[in-house]
Amino acid sequence: MNLISVLLIAIGLFFFLGGSIGIIRLPDFYSRLHAAGMLDTMGLFLSMAGLALYVLTDFTFANVLVAIKIMLIVVFVFITSPTATHAIVDAGVRGFREPWTKDKKGGSSI
Amino acid sequence: MKLIGKMTILLCGILLIVFANKFPEFGDPHSPASTHLSPYYIEHTMADTAVPNMVTSVLADYRGYDTMFETTVILTAGLACFFLLRLPEEEEKEIYFRHVPTGVTIRIEECGAAPEDSDVFQRIDAQWVPRDIIIRSTSRLLMPFIQIFALYVVAHGHHSPGGGFQGGVILGAAVILFAISHNLRTTVAKISETSAAIMSAAGVFIYAGTGALCVMLGENFLNYGALAPLLGTDRVMARSHGILIVEIGVALAVMSVMIWIYYNLSSAGKQDEGL
Repeated sequence: MNLISVLLIAIGLFFFLGGSIGIIRLPDFYSRLHAAGMLDTMGLFLSMAGLALYVLTDFTFANVLVAIKIMLIVVFVFITSPTATHAIVDAGVRGFREPWTKDKKGGSSI
Repeated sequence: MKLIGKMTILLCGILLIVFANKFPEFGDPHSPASTHLSPYYIEHTMADTAVPNMVTSVLADYRGYDTMFETTVILTAGLACFFLLRLPEEEEKEIYFRHVPTGVTIRIEECGAAPEDSDVFQRIDAQWVPRDIIIRSTSRLLMPFIQIFALYVVAHGHHSPGGGFQGGVILGAAVILFAISHNLRTTVAKISETSAAIMSAAGVFIYAGTGALCVMLGENFLNYGALAPLLGTDRVMARSHGILIVEIGVALAVMSVMIWIYYNLSSAGKQDEGL
């Protein structure tokens, strides 16, 4: 049980790492947001699932409640993170941010 | 005059540096603060107030005066924003609407009848911001959960980190989220500026009124033990309940001051369109 939770947290941190590298390295506004939005949500889900499993190794009623609270965080982030990404992309489209393409190399510096 | 100011600052700086050396070490067990005051709180909190969270009992009971004036400071901050920023309301001569299906802007003069604000005709100000259904429905979905969590933080301040200030900020943030995802006009129609102002004063009044009630019952100001006959409990539990009453007042004041400051700051005092 502990091994599974360690593995889950490690994979989650790997996703977070990928998201961070993506924010720095990707060429334009939209792809950076893609990296930030998708990978952070996945990383959070995996690491929180790992934590919930770790709590549940000692199976009592109080710990079940703690695990439910941890999973509630995941639920709320699953609702809010795509909404935030949607809002920022919307603002980017309205602010005329050029998307990066292979031949045009658009992509603004921000 | 400038020279005097510089001299004063220099003198204060030198004095601070000289005497900083004589302070007790950080976390020194023999310093006056941790030999007289802290042990008393640590040993007597549970017996005096029946509140497991020592911070809450120090904040709202032993040092109730301090927190009462902190709440007053927050009310003063709201009042300062109001007096500095708020502009007098002008008569609206012209109202602009946008017919969304065609994208035509309609100007309505004083005498004309304005259409209802709906999905077809949308009120616009300096610029038209499209209404996003995803953001609106998500924030509508989340707002009750945020408010319930805020109430939990207020009520659970006796046992865990939290209390009036934090819960009040979360309550205010829920309303500000509504204002950001919809617009300021809709929010002001739901919670008017007047009611925000009255609620912020009412929060401070609950706090000070609890203290005054203790005086009326013949004890010191903010000595909640005096409330025991009113609440029908013994003195220790009365102090615990008194802390809760005071925290509710703080939460009310903080929430409405947050909303009030947001109204004035986001619209530069005009309170028309917001961010």
